[in-house]
Amino acid sequence: MENHKTLIYDLAPRKFGKRGVIWTLFLVVIIIAGIVAYIDQLIKGQEVTNMRDYALWGIYISNFVFFVATSFVGTVTVAILRLTNNSWRTPLVRIAEIISVAAIIMAGITIMIDMARPDRLLNLFIHARLQSPITWDVVIIPTYIVISLLLLYFPLLPDFAILKKHFKKTKPKLSKWYGKLSLNWKGSVAQKTIQTKSIKIIAIMIIPVGILLQTIDAWLFSTTYRTGWDSTNFAPYFISGAFVAGIGALVTVIYVVRRVKKLEHYITDYHFDKLGKLLVLALLLYFYFNINEYLIPSFTAKKDESVHLNTLFTGSYATLFWFVTIVGLIIPIIVLLFKKGRKPYPMFFIGLIVVIGSWWKRFVIVTPTLLHPFLPIQGVPESWRHYFPSLHEWLITIATLAMALLIITILVRYLPVIPIQRTYEEQELLKTDKTIET
Amino acid sequence: MKLSRINQLHFRFILLALLNVVLLTSGFQNLYSQNTKKNRVRIKTNYVKIMDGESYFDIRATSKVEKENVDVSHVDILVYNEIEDEKIKLGTITTDVKGQSRYTLKSINDIKPDSTNTYNLLFSFKGNDQFKKASKSFSFKDVDIVDAKVITIHGINYITATLSDPNTKNPIADESLGVLVQRLFKSLRIGEEFNNTDENGTIVVPFEEELPGVDGNLTFEIVLNDHDDYGTVKALINAPLGIPVVHESTFDDRTLWSPRNKTPLFILVFANLLILGIWIPVIYLITNLFKINNAKT
Repeated sequence: MENHKTLIYDLAPRKFGKRGVIWTLFLVVIIIAGIVAYIDQLIKGQEVTNMRDYALWGIYISNFVFFVATSFVGTVTVAILRLTNNSWRTPLVRIAEIISVAAIIMAGITIMIDMARPDRLLNLFIHARLQSPITWDVVIIPTYIVISLLLLYFPLLPDFAILKKHFKKTKPKLSKWYGKLSLNWKGSVAQKTIQTKSIKIIAIMIIPVGILLQTIDAWLFSTTYRTGWDSTNFAPYFISGAFVAGIGALVTVIYVVRRVKKLEHYITDYHFDKLGKLLVLALLLYFYFNINEYLIPSFTAKKDESVHLNTLFTGSYATLFWFVTIVGLIIPIIVLLFKKGRKPYPMFFIGLIVVIGSWWKRFVIVTPTLLHPFLPIQGVPESWRHYFPSLHEWLITIATLAMALLIITILVRYLPVIPIQRTYEEQELLKTDKTIET
Repeated sequence: MKLSRINQLHFRFILLALLNVVLLTSGFQNLYSQNTKKNRVRIKTNYVKIMDGESYFDIRATSKVEKENVDVSHVDILVYNEIEDEKIKLGTITTDVKGQSRYTLKSINDIKPDSTNTYNLLFSFKGNDQFKKASKSFSFKDVDIVDAKVITIHGINYITATLSDPNTKNPIADESLGVLVQRLFKSLRIGEEFNNTDENGTIVVPFEEELPGVDGNLTFEIVLNDHDDYGTVKALINAPLGIPVVHESTFDDRTLWSPRNKTPLFILVFANLLILGIWIPVIYLITNLFKINNAKT
């Protein structure tokens, strides 16, 4: 029982310290700047962006793809690790679920930002053509948002009940909220049965839905006949890329949360080592698909495609391409193959460069292809043949990233980032096992 | 005395009036001269007879204005049938913006030939403020292209036709007929450029090309082209000698690129099954939340 109290004390949400408040304010300022830029974009139209006839998909779409990819972390850590009985996942799943929710919500918002007329959003449903990958995307994103929320919510029910009790005297208002969110959780057999069954269903269901989400995201590109996108390899390439982006984000966020919330006893080097192994597996898979994606076309490329590949290998996008390949992919693989590289501190940096690499990787996938259409566009200014995001685009994009971080920050503030009840049960089970062994 | 006074006044008045006329006309001489200088109109005529169809005259009115050929548009041209000394008015046609017009004869019997079986027509323009009057005579004899048909000998298709005088029914030999097949923009020549009629007035031209045609049908033209005596005479034959055109439009099909009401069935079924397959468990999971909320302890 004493152990239970300690657990609750350690894992219950706490008020932000000074650094937490500054961090939140910093995010809010960035978001406000982004909202101002977005309002200006709404008033003046997409003219304020640098998207033109060539680069008709710019930074917004690459940012959207990044968010979609990152949201895959929920599928990987929660569902796959659960179904493969990897018990080390317990202290990590909640953060993974939080990242997943934040990323997929922001993916939905980002795609709306890319629309010049968001007031016509409903038309996507009213006039939906089921043949269009855009329609599939319109269907799958809200679906994944709902499933991600359910995946976060069901395991939280016992913890909400614990927090209701915990804050009853100290923070009655907060306790009331936790009570409402706990849905009268008493831990009864009936409730536990329904909850366990529901979690199992979500865990199974989120795997095909997650794969569908990444596949549809890939098909948005590969069903458009353009150099660099015309690939049957694209869906698994995107899934493996999402695997990398998701785990990379998880490692980074977990390191920060662990440090800020002083959870070193719960998220140990062992967990980082396991996560490191999972990340290196993801990176190796992604590296394999990258070889497929770039090496084989280098042999078979027709003129247009070789122009595109030259732009990436030696041309104007070479620096970015080799940065995302070497710094964002190869170096993390090398570092993570060593045990020392899988320690928390180096893992944090690896996670960070993997996330940065993943973000720029989407930019490399989206933009250079658009600048090399099969049919050149006639009578457009020379400047339209190049693309670099405008100030509006940067402000809005950075604001969306800040919004994702703010969602994570708020959820980390009010939710137990490590499942209390489950950790307690596992620790009790471990004790029982040890008793039986002795 | 009184009379001479009146005469004097009259004389002065007449003198003033004459002076006025001289002054006024001399003052506007330059202006008048431009309007009074009229241009000549040239009328060109082309006669076309389609066997078992209509016959028509294509008329074109042009003029040389300031060394440039211009089309004379929107002018009336009267059409007459001249028989010996008699002139029968057939009708009036008006040129379009390109100076062109067509006078159609429903039947050759609508006009009468002279004693030599020659038909004489006169196209007359009465003139207007800008153009002088002009006329053009056109004479032709009637001729028929008969027995135009497709025959097959030893598996080879031949286009055959006979040129004959409709009055005497005698064949006309040694005249050149062209055989063409109608295509979208311009007719395509079949066989030699000149196919001279034999002593029976007949030509036989093999047709071995493989040409596409709507429903496999081709329209052949046997043409006596712009003959000095007969004008242009055409006989048309429709024959199923073409390769049927397969209409490859997918407009009515359910395709990946068709509108939403023509979505391919496999996509409709598969996508809806996926949506239902995901959303039915999602709804079940949401109801589970209510069940947990209402579960008895």
